[in-house]
Amino acid sequence: MGAVFVGVRHHSPACARLVADTIRTHRPAYVLIEGPADFNERVDELLLGHELPIALFSYSDQHASWTPFCDYSPEWVAITEGRRHGAEVRFIDLPAWHEAFHGVTNRYADAELRYAEVVERLCREFAVDNVDVLWDHLFESEPEPKGLDEYFDVLRGTAAADDGDAAREEYMARWVRAAVRHAGGRPVVVVTGGFHTPALKAELDSRPAEDAEWPGVPERERGASYLVPYSHARLDAFTGYQSGMPSPGYYQQVWENGPRRAADWLVESVATRLRRRQQPVSTADLVAAHTQAGALARLRGHEHPARTDVLDGLTSALISEDLTQPPPWNRRGTLRPGAHPALVEMIGALRGDKVGRLHPSTPAPPLVDAVQQLLRAHGLDQEGKIALDLTDPDALERSRILHRLRVLGIPGFERTSGPSGGTAPQLDEQWLLTPVEERLAALIEAAEHGATLEEAAGVALERQARHAQLRHLAGILFDAVLCGISTLSERVKASLGEGVKETGDLAALGDVLSGVLGLWRHDRLFGTAKDPLLGAVIDAGTARVLWLIEGLHGGPAPADPHRLRTMAATRDAVLHANAALSLDTADVTGVATRVSNDVQAPPDLRGAALGLAWALGAQPDVRKVRGIAALGDWLAGLFAVAREEVLASPDLVGVLDELVSAMTEEEFLVALPALRLAFSYFPPRERETIAGTVLAHRGVEGDARNLTRLTADPMVVAEALAVEHRVEALLTKGGLA
Amino acid sequence: MTSTQTMQRPPAEVRHADELARLRDSDTAPKPPGWALSLEAARRFVVGDEKRGITKKFVGDPSLVDRALVTLATSRGLMLVGEPGTAKSLLSELIAAAVSGESTLTIQGGAATTEDQIKYSWNYALLVAEGPSPRSLVPAPMLRGMAEGKVVRFEEITRCPLEVQDCMLSMLSDRVMAIGELNGPDGMVFAQDGFNVIATANTRDRGVNEMSAALKRRFNFETVFPIADFDTELALVEQESAKLLAKSGVELAPKRDVLEVLVRTFRDLREGNDRLTTVMSTAEAVSVAHAVGLRGWFLRGEAGTAADVVECLAGTAAKDNAEDLARLRRYLEQHAPRRKGKQWQELHRARHLLPG
Repeated sequence: MGAVFVGVRHHSPACARLVADTIRTHRPAYVLIEGPADFNERVDELLLGHELPIALFSYSDQHASWTPFCDYSPEWVAITEGRRHGAEVRFIDLPAWHEAFHGVTNRYADAELRYAEVVERLCREFAVDNVDVLWDHLFESEPEPKGLDEYFDVLRGTAAADDGDAAREEYMARWVRAAVRHAGGRPVVVVTGGFHTPALKAELDSRPAEDAEWPGVPERERGASYLVPYSHARLDAFTGYQSGMPSPGYYQQVWENGPRRAADWLVESVATRLRRRQQPVSTADLVAAHTQAGALARLRGHEHPARTDVLDGLTSALISEDLTQPPPWNRRGTLRPGAHPALVEMIGALRGDKVGRLHPSTPAPPLVDAVQQLLRAHGLDQEGKIALDLTDPDALERSRILHRLRVLGIPGFERTSGPSGGTAPQLDEQWLLTPVEERLAALIEAAEHGATLEEAAGVALERQARHAQLRHLAGILFDAVLCGISTLSERVKASLGEGVKETGDLAALGDVLSGVLGLWRHDRLFGTAKDPLLGAVIDAGTARVLWLIEGLHGGPAPADPHRLRTMAATRDAVLHANAALSLDTADVTGVATRVSNDVQAPPDLRGAALGLAWALGAQPDVRKVRGIAALGDWLAGLFAVAREEVLASPDLVGVLDELVSAMTEEEFLVALPALRLAFSYFPPRERETIAGTVLAHRGVEGDARNLTRLTADPMVVAEALAVEHRVEALLTKGGLA
Repeated sequence: MTSTQTMQRPPAEVRHADELARLRDSDTAPKPPGWALSLEAARRFVVGDEKRGITKKFVGDPSLVDRALVTLATSRGLMLVGEPGTAKSLLSELIAAAVSGESTLTIQGGAATTEDQIKYSWNYALLVAEGPSPRSLVPAPMLRGMAEGKVVRFEEITRCPLEVQDCMLSMLSDRVMAIGELNGPDGMVFAQDGFNVIATANTRDRGVNEMSAALKRRFNFETVFPIADFDTELALVEQESAKLLAKSGVELAPKRDVLEVLVRTFRDLREGNDRLTTVMSTAEAVSVAHAVGLRGWFLRGEAGTAADVVECLAGTAAKDNAEDLARLRRYLEQHAPRRKGKQWQELHRARHLLPG
């Protein structure tokens, strides 16, 4: 009889039905499924009676990946139906940790998307938006889908598989050959991604099955596979990246109730969700949506409204204004912030909210054991204080474990002191360990992030980073560095780079820039110095600062210290990380000079810009200072950025002295707070130097030290001066002066 | 009758007359009442069909065209909204040509649009001589569309005064226009099958927010987005600017890498936080590409260069807005050198050509 191949798209209800039918008609001896072969001995674990969706989570020291199953997964149906009809069920694909899966986190992603050209051509031919719509059009909306094999043949026809796919196909073909031989004439049903099917058929034809033996399962040193609960939200979360079929909530309905009822369900649940959010949805709107969906379905030749027919109908009926972004089902992406509420609820309804649950007798999540072993092995299963010297590799490892537990939010691990940024000279850490009851529960919950502590902490940080605002991202990056998680920091760095390019928040930008710059310049402990990705963040950040400051306009306002810190960080970036910058120093100086001459820019920024240009080597025209309004704020900006240059310029100090001396009492009092802020950028020693310069400028011999030491609080003195002034005014008024 | 040969821009039904005829001949699907083509054929007319030699005329999501056509077959009007230069008017013209075989029943909205230009006015000589009669009536596009069962295009509807917009209400909901001056059956013009309205509005001028809720309810809104795909946009700019340049007698079009730089610049300045307030549409990119080609050819007798792009951007893209000019300068200064390629470096070097 030989092999019966069923090429499927993963998570397709239509394919699941086809698999069930095929197994029922053929009564095969073997059902072979694209899945990790190393799990074959434990297939029974899958059938304990879980609530789907669940996933097979596999990890090794290299990377981790998921093999998700839901009720309507063709692979799941193959397992259950195969068992029911007495077939031997086998997974036949390489294990998840095999190098063929390098960079793959979802085994059931759409393989054909890696070979996009032919998909594009088909979409053009059928005049549909993208591959999901094409798939719905061709197969999901047909009661008896035809032409699946032809579809996959066309997809595969032009594409040569990459190395990973080729290795997997070769391996799977060995299983098929062996099964055909051992089946003794009974059929063998092979359920694999449709993209692989043509190749498997060809492999089988080219070599006879006569003496084929069961292939061995590649061995590995570390790592394991475990079942974890999964959810519709996570199934859908792969949208755009390692994506499979989107909208699990909707397809669950299709699987359970058929496409017609699923369409009704979709309209109803979108309406309910919108009404719950106090958005008006009238009956007339719903009628219009139904009509529109029905008409679209007829135009597109569907018996019942398909997924996008309903969505398009709802969009037409519910949205009566312009959208700020295309509906995600048109362009196959995720929703960006600020989307229309109707779109948000449509996507929410499509996604579904089912959360899987494992049967109680399923082996416990591996993270729990892994953490307990780690803690024992590193002597951290105690209570009390622990001091770690981070230059010692063992202590660094212990520190990393503790930090990973900290970012996972496992209670009872508290750091009381330690380095807080790349520049910090501190090389030791203090921890306080306390036994807490909730620790075990927290660990079980954290297990959803991964099976090893490193993996879990990495995933947790990555999720934080996904939703974090820019100002927190630098912190998350430093956490990743502390945890010793390098893969994650790559991703965080990339999203930092993205965030930096978009932000309009100068203060946050400064935090990020100085934080990252610290790691890039100084860090020896964690190995981030001169890291190219960080360099890219610095580059993007510097460009962004320049971009923003030139657009910053507004009248005189008090100096903003955050803004000035950002300017100082920019100076450092240009001076010390020039290797990482794609900008010309001349361009930076150009922007800075323009800003410093821009009368519309706030005074502190103008001062800081002048300082920046100065620090970069452009000699300022000291005489121009005389024309500056809001001198105090301007100086705050200048001093914040170009402290050393000011100290070395007696000319400027002289001009300043003249300006301040020429102020009236009133003007001086107004300028005083800003002047104090400005001079607070100098440490006492340098203030002394300035005082010395002033004395020299006036040609006076004297002790600069005494000038800068006051016995009274200057504010008190200022207040006294003001009172005195008022008294004098009163006396004059009364003719008593 | 003007000759179509010398027309600067013949309407869609003339430009694509042969395709429309072919579609009509092979059209077997049921047609909505009053339509010249079936939905399926109308759709193929717009999105193209390689097998039947129908060109693709609108670069955008095919589902948008589906929704637009289905809307027109129902009792709601179609409102196309989007940034200027996203081919809304082209789409409305194509659809009108496909649905009614005629795309010239057009009202151009503006601050000075009055009800006369929408409904009807009078031939005053006849009016004075004969009094109000069907003979002295001068129908405007709405009246003709209703009486003949055709699609009426209302361009830039939101630029009309609100009260003028609202005169559409009764025509759209009751599908009848009352001509108060005429008595008897002539006084009521009932809309025939096939009548509907395609309005366009752009999000820059005065958005659709000010439209009355009653009028909004009579339209289905479709947002037309800028072209998502870089290569598609580049191809379109290349093709359209080549046509314009050929018409202007330019023999050497700008090289592809110069256009690439141009289109990328437009896309960067169109999206994100730093977008210009000036419209950076594909249409604008085509006109800049045209201008770049003209400069290169007529000033120096060679193809346009990145330096020409800078000069043209200063005039067309930054218009008279100082902030936009500053943004453009920053873009050339800080973003251009970060891209790889000779033309980007050229663009960066030419930054001083910006005025001011």
